Amino acid sequence: MNTKLSYDIIGLTLFAGVILFGVPALFSYDGFELNTFSRYLSLAIVSMALALSWGTTGLLNLGQAATFGMGSYAMAMHLKLKASGDGLPDFMGWNNVETLPLIWGPFQSLTFTLLAGLLIPAAVGGLIAIFMFRARIAGVFVAIITLAFLVAFQLLVIEQQGLTGGQNGLTGLAQLVLFGWKIDIYSVSFYYMVGGCLMAALIFGLYLTHSKFGLVLRAIREDAERTRYFGYNVANYQTVIFCISAGLAGWAGMLYALVLEFASPTYMSVSFSLAIVIWCAVGGRESVLAAAVGAILVNLAEGRLSDVFVEGWHMILGVMFLVVVMFMPRGIYGLLVDAGRALRRKPASTKEALPFDTPLNPKQES
Amino acid sequence: MDVVFNQAFAGLSIASILLIIALGLAIIYGTMGVINLAHGEFVMLGAYATWALQTYAGLGVVTALPLVFVAVAAVGWIIEKVIVQRLYTRPLDTILATWGIGIILQQAVRLGVGADSRFVSGPHWLSGNIEIGALVMSNYRLFVIAFSIMVLGATWLLMTRTEFGMKLRAVIQNRGISECYGIEAKNVYSVTFAYGAGLAGIAGALITPLFSTIPTMGTGLVVDAFLVVIVGGLGSLMGTAAAALLIGEVTALFSIVINDTLGRIAVLAGIILLIRFRPRGLFPSDIRH
Repeated sequence: MNTKLSYDIIGLTLFAGVILFGVPALFSYDGFELNTFSRYLSLAIVSMALALSWGTTGLLNLGQAATFGMGSYAMAMHLKLKASGDGLPDFMGWNNVETLPLIWGPFQSLTFTLLAGLLIPAAVGGLIAIFMFRARIAGVFVAIITLAFLVAFQLLVIEQQGLTGGQNGLTGLAQLVLFGWKIDIYSVSFYYMVGGCLMAALIFGLYLTHSKFGLVLRAIREDAERTRYFGYNVANYQTVIFCISAGLAGWAGMLYALVLEFASPTYMSVSFSLAIVIWCAVGGRESVLAAAVGAILVNLAEGRLSDVFVEGWHMILGVMFLVVVMFMPRGIYGLLVDAGRALRRKPASTKEALPFDTPLNPKQES
Repeated sequence: MDVVFNQAFAGLSIASILLIIALGLAIIYGTMGVINLAHGEFVMLGAYATWALQTYAGLGVVTALPLVFVAVAAVGWIIEKVIVQRLYTRPLDTILATWGIGIILQQAVRLGVGADSRFVSGPHWLSGNIEIGALVMSNYRLFVIAFSIMVLGATWLLMTRTEFGMKLRAVIQNRGISECYGIEAKNVYSVTFAYGAGLAGIAGALITPLFSTIPTMGTGLVVDAFLVVIVGGLGSLMGTAAAALLIGEVTALFSIVINDTLGRIAVLAGIILLIRFRPRGLFPSDIRH
């Protein structure tokens, strides 16, 4: 076991301790308070998913919110059908839709919904990835294509009112019944379910980044051309990580729709998508754990500060983001790593001063 | 047929606005590779500056144009000096930093002026329409179209017939060697960024009589303008102009065949395909990067 892995395991254990024991105890197991926190945890999943594609592989995906939205709509469609009983969902009546549209049919089944919320985003992400990476599109063009896709997808969702509820989204949802357990979102057990999903996603993410697969991904981030010369099929690696990232985003979207009890096209807005990037950047784009922490911290700050500065909150967010991008591009994680290295270096002989992980040259990082 | 002509004119009108916004973006992106997501907010600042000049100083839209240009260019110059200049080595991060700047500018306007929409009346001497058969063209829109062509011409002259333009082209081709010849690349970058911002301000001033002025008005425009830049190809002014015309017309004419939203979606899809198959745009210049 190398040192970096052991640090990550220590970090994950601490994080799990805080999330699974510290936070519930802090709010004295009050379900209503914990509900707000489950929202942060579901957002942490989408932030860590972005860290896989952006921080690890160097592909800035500005369309993360599109796959997130797909997951949330999958879940909301299932719950809407349950809420409507045998009849049609109410908004379809307002839009003169007489029979249940074909793509709504399968969402009666919970199994299908759970699979669809994970696999449809993954498939869409995969298709976009194949489309881009086979042509060796890189750098800012990845950001532009994913952004254009996001804008087009959101327009489409708003436009298809009869299918998606248009601008209003899907509201008035039923409670989810999972294996006979009727989920009350204001309960402690719901919080643990979301927390469990986040932990599973983090363990999966850490496993990926510490495997040989993750090593190749980092190599691609540093120099895609050189990795290609080593005989790796760069496009395949990029496609797989895009798929995984999109699938995780879809999963987070499903949880988010559960927590908020509605799905809305604002989940797919450009500003939401860039907000995900902000969380990831603040926490530290290179580490999935740090990205998750970033999402929780920024949203926690937003929850607390937007009460105090109703109007000024966005200003604070903008300034914070600017400062992070300019002065600490590796986020809070980068500060911790640098601090740790500085501490280790003081009493050290040259042998100990050797960095344990490959130092990143911030100029090459993009 | 009348519908087609009127929509074609509407498309021309959209294209003229897009052209001014996209020219600023294209110059900034072509010169320093910075994707300026705050560009829409520069447009918004221009619109608010026009509103302020009309409300408090009684200036008309056209009289206010030079003042708005200078004011927004100054804001752009400061932002370049303080923030963007530090990020030239990290192109992806400029996307994020300029987005942050955009949030800050938007919020500053919301706090300072308020979130309600503001209205600016167009100039009186440009009210009324010219009618040719069933084709109705508003004088103001015709003025905007003519003005955008003037801006394009002025920018072309600036790039090709002035000493600054020569320095700029030198820096685009090879920054290091230009610096060896005594060109201050940093200053060239600052002035270019300021000029691009100023153009966005002009666009903002020109659209105030056509759209309502709200703090979020720039966000939608910047995506369109950026697509124009990508389609046009980097570093090519005429390409940008052709792309603005193309996207404006396609959007307008598509909206007859299908509806507005689907028209936009089709344009976006077309642009994604274009980036995939011709990543250097439809009209790439010969500049080596």
